[in-house]
Amino acid sequence: MAEFDPEKFEDKYANYFTELQRAYKNAFERMNERYDSELIHAIDQQVLNESEPFYEGDGEFRIDLPENPGDRVTGIIVDDEKLDETLDIYVDELEAELRSVFGFEE
Amino acid sequence: MSTDAQNDGDDLEERVSNFLRRNFPQIQMHGGSAAIQNIDRETGEVSIQLGGACSGCGISPMTIQAIKSRMVKEIPEIEKVHADTGMGGGGGGGMEPSFPGETTDDGDDGADEGPQAPF
Repeated sequence: MAEFDPEKFEDKYANYFTELQRAYKNAFERMNERYDSELIHAIDQQVLNESEPFYEGDGEFRIDLPENPGDRVTGIIVDDEKLDETLDIYVDELEAELRSVFGFEE
Repeated sequence: MSTDAQNDGDDLEERVSNFLRRNFPQIQMHGGSAAIQNIDRETGEVSIQLGGACSGCGISPMTIQAIKSRMVKEIPEIEKVHADTGMGGGGGGGMEPSFPGETTDDGDDGADEGPQAPF
């Protein structure tokens, strides 16, 4: 398990790119199994492409999303409530994956 | 003797392309592709489209963010990177063919204004 270094996370895309990719991919796959695949793809491609993970300390991560994520999702029909709900779950999954990938969680 | 030092435009495109190949071999390894769609040398903006398997594979958001974040740091002329998988605009598909050798013809007249060679 790679030793996590919060300072190195400042330059995360250079130092931890592989780990970040793995976390995003794992979360994507899990969500894709459980929820509407079209919606998960749309969130992945249209919302998460402007997301950014931050390390909060104490093994916790935070995912910053772009403003008005609901407005960014186009090309599929989904009501706001379902979108928000799924997005919340997706973000939770991502944060959990990050904790796992960086060794904070079994 | 390098002769291409005079040709700023192609040099920049080549550096962007090399940057992608060097730092993001995963794109090709995973069956995806990254095509440079446009480079605006005046504003320092570059548009890149990820295609192939990158459209909807779960790691493209991170790849896009990484390209955006790192390219502006490593290539001083680049101020802003637009990168997507072509799915943002609506409808479906997003599987636009993109060929590595594809270059959009330099139709913009502004590009030929001959940047003064910095000495």
